[in-house]
Amino acid sequence: MNKFRLFTMNWWLLHLVAIAFFFYLGHAVHFM
Amino acid sequence: MSNKTYVKSLLLIAIITLALGGLLLHIRIHPIVKIPSIVVGYITGVLSIIVVPLLFSFKKTLSYGYVLNGMLAIIGTILMAHFSIAHWPAQTTFASIILETTLPDILILWTIFFIGKALFDLETFGYDPKKPKAGVTYRYPNMGWWLVHLVGLSIVYTLGNLLWR
Repeated sequence: MNKFRLFTMNWWLLHLVAIAFFFYLGHAVHFM
Repeated sequence: MSNKTYVKSLLLIAIITLALGGLLLHIRIHPIVKIPSIVVGYITGVLSIIVVPLLFSFKKTLSYGYVLNGMLAIIGTILMAHFSIAHWPAQTTFASIILETTLPDILILWTIFFIGKALFDLETFGYDPKKPKAGVTYRYPNMGWWLVHLVGLSIVYTLGNLLWR
């Protein structure tokens, strides 16, 4: 694995989107 | 048909059957009118039945299938754990945590992950029985990488639940 691939734009963008999505999911999902 | 194609088909069928069983179980035990959030279970179920097997079928999209399959298992784990916390058993005992929470369901869900992992590993690293297992545990595509993502995404989800009301 190329170490530097970790710091490419796609990596950051993907993680930003994933974090936003799971943060939103935590807000939106209700089981009560 | 080669043995490789046959084994791959069996694993794909295993994913589809298990995901279909899971989807039907969700439809049976949690009607959408009573718990609207269960729609997440329906969407992930449909993705597991249609999109994941399609991505796993082609060499070019194999990695996407592997990541999507694992991420769906993580979403299911987090949401079912949340469901159990919201419907916690009346008495907290060892037996009630094992049998009256969604722990059994979460364990069944992870079999779908491990079938996908077997499929991915066989396709990526080959079927050579003498080939040693290589790679760093916490790096993609190994198990530690999934553990890091399960823990990380659980924290993000919990923060979203607690901070954004």
